[in-house]
Amino acid sequence: MQAIEYFEVECTEKLGGEYYRQIANDVLLDHNLLRVIHKMHIYIDPKVPIFVAVGVLKKVTTLVRVGDIANVNPQEGKMTLAISDETWLAPMLKIFWDRFGKDHVEQPDRFTVILYGVTAGAREIEEIAIADPSQALYKDLIYALKCTCPEGFRVRSENYGAEKFSFVASEDTLTDAGMALVREKFALMGETP
Amino acid sequence: MILVPITYRGGVYRHSEITDLIEDLGGYIVQKHMIAQEVVIQCFVPKDDVELIRAIGKPLAGEVTDSPLVGTEIAVVSMSLEIHHLPHPSCDIAEYVRRLGAKSNMVGMARGVGKRIAGLNDEERDVINEHDIAVYLLGNFETCIEHKMPVLLRGIEVPVVLCGGPDKDVLERIVEPKVDGYVGNVGRFMHRTKESEELSKLDEIIAEITWVLSKRREELAKDPLSVSPARLMDVIREQVPAILDVTSPTPLTVQMSGLRVKLPYDTYADVLRKTEIEDGITIGDIAAIEPSRMRDYIIVRVRPFSETNMVI
Repeated sequence: MQAIEYFEVECTEKLGGEYYRQIANDVLLDHNLLRVIHKMHIYIDPKVPIFVAVGVLKKVTTLVRVGDIANVNPQEGKMTLAISDETWLAPMLKIFWDRFGKDHVEQPDRFTVILYGVTAGAREIEEIAIADPSQALYKDLIYALKCTCPEGFRVRSENYGAEKFSFVASEDTLTDAGMALVREKFALMGETP
Repeated sequence: MILVPITYRGGVYRHSEITDLIEDLGGYIVQKHMIAQEVVIQCFVPKDDVELIRAIGKPLAGEVTDSPLVGTEIAVVSMSLEIHHLPHPSCDIAEYVRRLGAKSNMVGMARGVGKRIAGLNDEERDVINEHDIAVYLLGNFETCIEHKMPVLLRGIEVPVVLCGGPDKDVLERIVEPKVDGYVGNVGRFMHRTKESEELSKLDEIIAEITWVLSKRREELAKDPLSVSPARLMDVIREQVPAILDVTSPTPLTVQMSGLRVKLPYDTYADVLRKTEIEDGITIGDIAAIEPSRMRDYIIVRVRPFSETNMVI
């Protein structure tokens, strides 16, 4: 948990709280989310029952551009891209097709893309944004919290925005008390919701 | 003749000598696995002949170990089949008991989760009751365990070993009605059991299961079964050739007081009832042949001596 500045699991049952700390750690690690979370506080009271997770995210990584995943080599009448990371290859090709047309884009093998008759310069191609990783982050984070919280807690309220998130879950209908807990737990971290 | 469960592990080369020996000694092979160059035989053999098998197996690089769980069918009851409970710890425990010779089945409940909403339906109850023992895998909170256990144990007639996050003494105190075995500090977790501390917890579960099963064996010994399920397995294998065409890993699953036959009930129930064991005594005379709640299988429950007045 070194990557997180503040990480607390508060539970009315001491031993249960320790287990949930381990579970939260495992889940966040599995989903590769430790690097994006700045602060996190989890509160569980099985007697109510309620599960509250609040937290602050780090500044989300910038846009992924063509230059981040490929070397652009301008040649006579064409531009050859040597791909170094395939992760964003599919969205990159889609953007190229939309922008230059399928006739001008060729992929002879897995790690090479050739653009024919393109007027844009190498610098301009490198600057094209191909993906925004922060869009998938919310989905991943909520999924991870769903995995962490007890499975029977199926009534949920999820909020996300301005790098802060809150997740409240219970077996019963959620009341204002849940929202009050969110404010209270944010205050423990020195934050406001 | 007292039969004891053992596992023989050795090379494939000349292993037929061991299988012949077990049969000649009056033992029964419950399961035989051939994995590459290795053969694993789970069997019941006469207690006095274990050393003989060990001596004959030695030149063949064979190893004989006691396997108290051979010939038992265990239900590993998971509160759900969601990512919260699978693959850890349910699969780890199911796999561990399998290594020690038991046939384990995982029972994933439809509504086992939660505190207030947890429930057990009739199909789940009947499936669990078809096993020798049920291992309940619960969560980490004592409040939830205390609240839901009366519901989850309703109608369960087989011995139960309960695993949960709280300490063992806490489980013993809060669980009502009382069950046969408790293992504490094994609740819900989201990582593989590979640390030595976690593996020793798995050993603790096995020890608890073995202890509960030995108590059950003692009870059975007071009123012995009319026929050994292992012998019944041999009889069915010889006289009902259809069982040889079943592709399931264990077409005949031996239990402590019965047998699961993986043939359709409607077609084969009468065939089994009329199958002769010896001297005109049929399976129907000494056992109840019932439809299983698991697919369309047959469950054979051997009656005790007090009901049939015969032991063969």
